[in-house]
Amino acid sequence: MGDQVLEETLTADSIGADAALAASGDASAFERLYRTHVARVHSLVRRMLDADEADDVTQDVFVRAWEKLSTFRGESAFGTWLHRLAVNVVLGRRKTLGVERGRFHTGEDPLEGVSGRRETPEVSMDFEDALARLPDGARQVFVLHDVEGYRHEEIARMLGVVPGTSKSQLHHARMALRRYLDR
Amino acid sequence: MLTMLTAAVLASLAPLQGETDTTIAVPAGASLSVNNFGGSIVVHAWAQNRVKIHAEHGSRGGMEASLAGNTLTLRAGSRHGSPSVVDFEITVPQDMALTLSGTYTEIEVDGVRGPISAETVDGSIDVRGGSGIITLHSVQGSVTLADATGRIEVNSINESIELSNISGQIKAETTNGNVSLWGIKSASVEATTINGDVEYEGTINDGGTYTFDSHNGDITVSVAEGANVTISVATANGDIDASFPLPFTGLREKHRYTFKLGTGSARMEAESFQGDINLRRPAEMHMRQKDKDKDKHRNHNQDREEP
Amino acid sequence: MNDQWTDRLSEYVDGELANSERTALEAHLATCAECRAIVADLRKVVARAKALEDRAPKVDLWSGIHARLTPGRRPGVTRPWRVSFSVPQLLAASIALILLSGSGAWLALKPRQSAVVTPRPDPEFAVLNVSTRRTDAAIADLQDVFDRNKSRLDTSTVRVVQQAFTTIDRAIAEARAALVADPGNAYLNLHLADTMRRKLELLRRVNAIAAAQS
Repeated sequence: MGDQVLEETLTADSIGADAALAASGDASAFERLYRTHVARVHSLVRRMLDADEADDVTQDVFVRAWEKLSTFRGESAFGTWLHRLAVNVVLGRRKTLGVERGRFHTGEDPLEGVSGRRETPEVSMDFEDALARLPDGARQVFVLHDVEGYRHEEIARMLGVVPGTSKSQLHHARMALRRYLDR
Repeated sequence: MLTMLTAAVLASLAPLQGETDTTIAVPAGASLSVNNFGGSIVVHAWAQNRVKIHAEHGSRGGMEASLAGNTLTLRAGSRHGSPSVVDFEITVPQDMALTLSGTYTEIEVDGVRGPISAETVDGSIDVRGGSGIITLHSVQGSVTLADATGRIEVNSINESIELSNISGQIKAETTNGNVSLWGIKSASVEATTINGDVEYEGTINDGGTYTFDSHNGDITVSVAEGANVTISVATANGDIDASFPLPFTGLREKHRYTFKLGTGSARMEAESFQGDINLRRPAEMHMRQKDKDKDKHRNHNQDREEP
Repeated sequence: MNDQWTDRLSEYVDGELANSERTALEAHLATCAECRAIVADLRKVVARAKALEDRAPKVDLWSGIHARLTPGRRPGVTRPWRVSFSVPQLLAASIALILLSGSGAWLALKPRQSAVVTPRPDPEFAVLNVSTRRTDAAIADLQDVFDRNKSRLDTSTVRVVQQAFTTIDRAIAEARAALVADPGNAYLNLHLADTMRRKLELLRRVNAIAAAQS
């Protein structure tokens, strides 16, 4: 039991050690960090933006992380720090691409009439596909709130809306997605 | 026997010649003070209780000597009020304490065994020998000291410092130049510069403290096997390179690492803002020095072969 | 079919309704099967969101990232800072590196042995912050004295001294710049203080020399 705890500690802390080594310029250590965290970062990026951009933006996230590693103080886990950085990169990207408020859907089923947009219009979509097809605003609020755990006040600040909008968009997203639960 | 010599007497010794030669008997334990303005001060030692002085001052200059109590003072004199350029060549009793100063003055001391204080603004200082309190200060001039022992403080501003074969407490500081310490036996060494390298080849004694600092230059320190020392190494922009495994048992902050060799008894700080920190074995440092000397020789010979 | 409560159901699920509203809604839920079904669905959606699995990209992005990791992109660093005795050498000496998160202390463990290290607090920073201000003032005063008296020194000495000032000033500026990026760092703070002290001592010394020239 003690050994297991030690092993877990070593795992978490060896990520910390890698972060410290990477901060001093060790690219191999940074590659180890990349391998450990890329799935999470890529998934976040993919869900917030879309599959086409996910690879590019994921690269941006890691390059930015490398540049900012000297500011990482080890006060939180490296994964948490990296994650927050990824969210910032994604939000910055949103602004650059000029995502407008108009993309926030107000009313009917956001997923109605969306078929044919993607290459393979499936008869039955799974939950993740359905998520991908939500309008940007609703999808991003859903990802930030239900997947990533941010609160409405934070999300409102990040997306440049009022908390009320964040709440209603979340509700729209959930209502749309509930039909794709079992797939 | 005490001899009181006045300026008038001395001046009359060589009124129109360009030089003064005299020998003055001094009591045991006497000290010498030389104040020059321009020119050189060269001091050698002998076993006699007399001070032999040869001063070249030109016909317009002169030299004043006065003996008060235990101190013989030589001053570069002048007939017309403006400071003169005097080259002093002085032979002193081996144990005589020396205080030498000048503005545009080169100072050279060889063979004395007592304390030495040498200060110049524009001129190099080269000392071989000395014991006790040794203080060498130059502004524009390199400073070298060899074969000395005691409490040593050496400063330049715009030139390098070279200490070799020294035992005792050492403090060596310059701004625009290297600090090079070789063959040192000491438990207390402080060597700092801003724009230059620091090199240390010497003992690391148990309980000793060793501080090597630069802003822009490399720090190279020899660490013998079996040394017991806690080494704190810091650099903001440089590399840290050790020729041997460094037990990383100490604390780490950003830019600074602490290592412990053996019992960690001595404390060493090697820090450079932009430069590298190199920790080497003594044998390596000697090889490097040999190669450097060979190169110097080679260049010399090449120069001589030029048509 | 929607009723007046449908749009509030997410807030209810997230516990964001005020007490009075919650009580009213719960009273409604007791009578409305559709709303109860929606609440159940919403909870499932939330659970499903939390259970989403992370998927790595289909292609390995590392080489693209690696190509962009140039040393020049590191802020505030003019050349890459490498620790050349890194992990392999230390592992050869059977020592593992552990970073204690939150404390920032490095701890070396020999296998099967543990040592506890208290992170060294950084007391120097607060003290140094104050004394650089005083040192700045002292330096400015001595600089005034020097400017007034430098005519006593000859021009080549003055030039040499100015060169030394320039060297030290540049070193001070570089140390300050590094501190901006990393204000809490003990080494940088000490280095700045040392370099400023050097300037102070240099000024004192040249002023004394100037005063001694008659």
